[in-house]
Order: sequence, then structure tokens, then C-alpha cells
Amino acid sequence: MNNSTRPFADIYPEIGTGPVSTAPAVDPAFFEREREKIFRKMWVNMILREEDLPNPGDYFVRDIEVLDASVIVVRGDDGKLRALHNVCTHRGNRLVRDESGSCNGFQCDFHGWVFNNQGELAFVTDEQRFHHLDKPSLGLAKVHLDTWRGFIFVNFEETPSQSLEASMADFNQDLKPFPFENMVLAGRYRYETNANWKTTMNAFQESYHAAFVHKRSVRQCLEDDGDPYLASQRIKLQPNGNQSISVHVPPHDLTPTEMIAYGMGATFTQGGDGNVNSFPGTAQAQIENWAFDLNIMFPFSRINVGAGWYYVDAFWPVAHDRTVYELAFYFPMPTSAGAMISQEYSKIVLRDLSREDLFTNEVTHNALRSGAIKSIQLSDQEIAVRHQYEKVTEFCR
Amino acid sequence: MNNPLPEPFAHLTPYRSWALSTEDARMRRRISASMSEITDYYQTLLPEIDPIAKHLDQWPLAELPAEQKPLLYLAMMFMETAMCVEFFFDPDVPEALGAEHIELYAGRSEQLVNS
Repeated sequence: MNNSTRPFADIYPEIGTGPVSTAPAVDPAFFEREREKIFRKMWVNMILREEDLPNPGDYFVRDIEVLDASVIVVRGDDGKLRALHNVCTHRGNRLVRDESGSCNGFQCDFHGWVFNNQGELAFVTDEQRFHHLDKPSLGLAKVHLDTWRGFIFVNFEETPSQSLEASMADFNQDLKPFPFENMVLAGRYRYETNANWKTTMNAFQESYHAAFVHKRSVRQCLEDDGDPYLASQRIKLQPNGNQSISVHVPPHDLTPTEMIAYGMGATFTQGGDGNVNSFPGTAQAQIENWAFDLNIMFPFSRINVGAGWYYVDAFWPVAHDRTVYELAFYFPMPTSAGAMISQEYSKIVLRDLSREDLFTNEVTHNALRSGAIKSIQLSDQEIAVRHQYEKVTEFCR
Repeated sequence: MNNPLPEPFAHLTPYRSWALSTEDARMRRRISASMSEITDYYQTLLPEIDPIAKHLDQWPLAELPAEQKPLLYLAMMFMETAMCVEFFFDPDVPEALGAEHIELYAGRSEQLVNS
């Protein structure tokens, strides 16, 4: 029987309804298990798109601190994208120190070995003094790379236990049709926080907090007396840990500035208008006053799609009590100043909102570490938080 | 230094120091400004944003003349101040992760305009 105020527990009875242990969020030993059983085996969303590296030689470097890894993602002269360990095969020096660029190859600044942009060892300085160099086998160590709808993912397993396509599961139907290729990077943000990655992420997995955490920044969206907590109408949980949560925003008055921004383009809080076919790959057609969908790829990255924009983010675990939150916001490339001015409004709204979300985490993390409470209480609206703890615990067994 | 802004916006020239070319610089300027400066800026610019956008839309964004760019930057700075005046009543976000923990990187349009 469907319960109208607590509909999701009936859909996912296996997740339960009891208190949830805080141990996975505060125990350093649990974090070590997550590192080996989850982080080392997953497809890592690099928060990068193929079009960010359009030409041969274009590269980005990303540090995956939780795996002590630094990865170069580079488009080779053969046009192929590769992910390579950023480690010189001579003595192990860090090869590339820039965050991004374009080049024919990479030269190590320790003894000058040169690798081409396909990762092959191209030149060894004073080579005749080496004894038995097998140069073809001394290319940069490879990391598995695959793309999904233009997003670049890497995998550190020797042989990935499942394909990227398989790990996307229901997103292959639910999200794939979204017109990602019509949009470009509008802004990128990186935030450092002293809290566990799950505690950090949990603030972004339900709408229940909006009435308090965002009481200032989206005040105008919280004035519907019949729906003060913006109770989600759609939460879809997948067996592999993936989740999708639809967020709606009641009709509301626009501030003078949002009126200006909305007059020149889509905004963050004023979306969902237009016919139901406007935004394929979203839950627009299923949700009253639909605003956007949060799509969580287990364990910690998301592709969140809205009415005319999307943003990709990740809660990078660094240590059991340190997380980096990275967010990249995408809009259609503005062709006019008006469109760019409008997009700036939504960028600032989302940036300021994220800072509100990230404020509770450090305080909460420290409070949980005190041991004062051993479990947390979760409502039906917070079932995605419950599901995350259940899946993390299951995979760490 | 204080070159007049292009017509018909020369009267905004006293605000030229707010015409910063990156989102990062604009955010830092916003949070280091006083609320009275921000309120003055917001109230002055509010009726100018639509006219500035219409004026700048004479050119494709990629071909915006250099002398017109400060107008675009002023309009984007306005968006920073709007949050302070319409929501926060403070230059910074109250009860938020401190701005010293944030790094901002340019998107494509900012790179295009500033190239």
C-alpha cells in the first residue's frame, strides 16, 4: 500500500526505515575500506568533456588524491583520448606540473626524458650510457579511459570489473537523451571542506534542508504554505548505488534582478516552462513545477540537469575528514552580451547556494566525531542518504 | 585611468573601478566592499542593465569592441551585488563556507571576451 506522505519506503522496502549508524562517516578505518573496495574500482568522472580537449596535444592534469594518483588526460596526434599516469618511467618524477595546456609531448624536468602526446617514450637524454633500455615498454603507464555522452571517465583497476556503460545503468535511458552537446562550460568552482565525503554530499541529496539552509538565498521559492519543505515527488534508487532525485520549485515572484536575467535566458530557479519535450533526458514530464534532476553516479559524482543548463559536480574524498567539492556549470554558449549577463546571475546563485550547503558539513562532521550520537534519523524524504549508507556499507563488507 | 565609458553610459564612469574582467575578481571585490557601497552600486545599475544589454547586443559577443567591454563587466558585477541586496543584506553569504576555501575558474565565454 502506498503511503502518500512516505511513499518511497514502500517502493524500496529493502532499505529499511530505522536509524543509520554514523560509523561510516567518522571511522578512519572505514575510509580505508572505501578506498580499496569502492574508490579504486569505480569509474571516476573527471568533470571534463571531450570538447574541452578539441585538438591533438590538448591535455588536462587531474590529481586523484584519495588514490595518490595524478593523471594526464591528453588527445594524441592520432586523435585518440588517453589517460596516463603523470609519472616519468625513468625514476618516477612527476612529469607535468601545469594544470592544462597543449603540447607535442612532455619533458621530465629531472633528467629530460621526453614522452610524445600518445604516451610513448620518444627521447632519452644521453641514452648511450644506459645498459638495456627497452624503450617501447617504457611509455607512460596507462589508466583506462572511456566516455559517456562526452563526459570523460577513468578507471584505475587493472581490468575494470564492469564497463562504464554498465555502471551508468538506468541513466542510459533516463539521462542519455539530454542535449549536453548544446552547452559549454560557463564556470568552474572548487571548494575545500574538512568533513567526510558522505557528510558533505548528504547536504546535496534532499530538498528538506532548503527551508533552513537556503532560507535567505532562495527565500522566494519557499513561500508556498502547502509545500514548505519542497517534498520530492520523484526519487529513483538503483541497485548499484546510482540515484536520481527531482527537485521542483513552486511558482514564485521573481526579484527585480531575476526578472532581468530571465528576460535574457534560462535561470537557475525559474525553469521547467515550455512544452514537456523541451528537455529530454529529464523528469520534466513527470513532475509538477519541475526545476531540475540530481543524478548521482555512485559513489560521489553527479550530472544534474535543468531547464536550459546542467552542472556536473563531485565530492572528491581526500581523507576521512577532508573533501574537495568541484562543480562545473554548463550553459549554451552565449552569442550576445545579454545572454552572458543572464548566465552570470545563475552562476552566482548556484555558487552562493553551494557555499550555504557546505557550511553545515564541517560542523556536523565534528559533532558526529564527538560520539554524542551513534546514529542519525532519516525521513522518507532523506531516503537517498539512507540508500547511500546502505550501499557503501554493502560494498565495503 | 578614468577614461569615460562609452555613450550613452558615460554617466556611469564613476563606477569604472567595478568593471572587473573575471568572475573571480568580481566575487572578491563584492565581499571586500561595504554594504553601503554595494547598495549604491545596485541601485544605480538596476535600471541600466537592460539598456546596457540592448546596447551591447549590437555586436556579436565574439566581436565586442574593447572599449565596450567595461559595460559588460559592470553588468556582471551588478549580478554579484544583487545577491547581497535582494537576499543576504550583507556583502558575503552569511552562514556559508568561507570564500578563502573557494577557487574560481573561467568558463568559455569569459575566456572568449578576455582573449
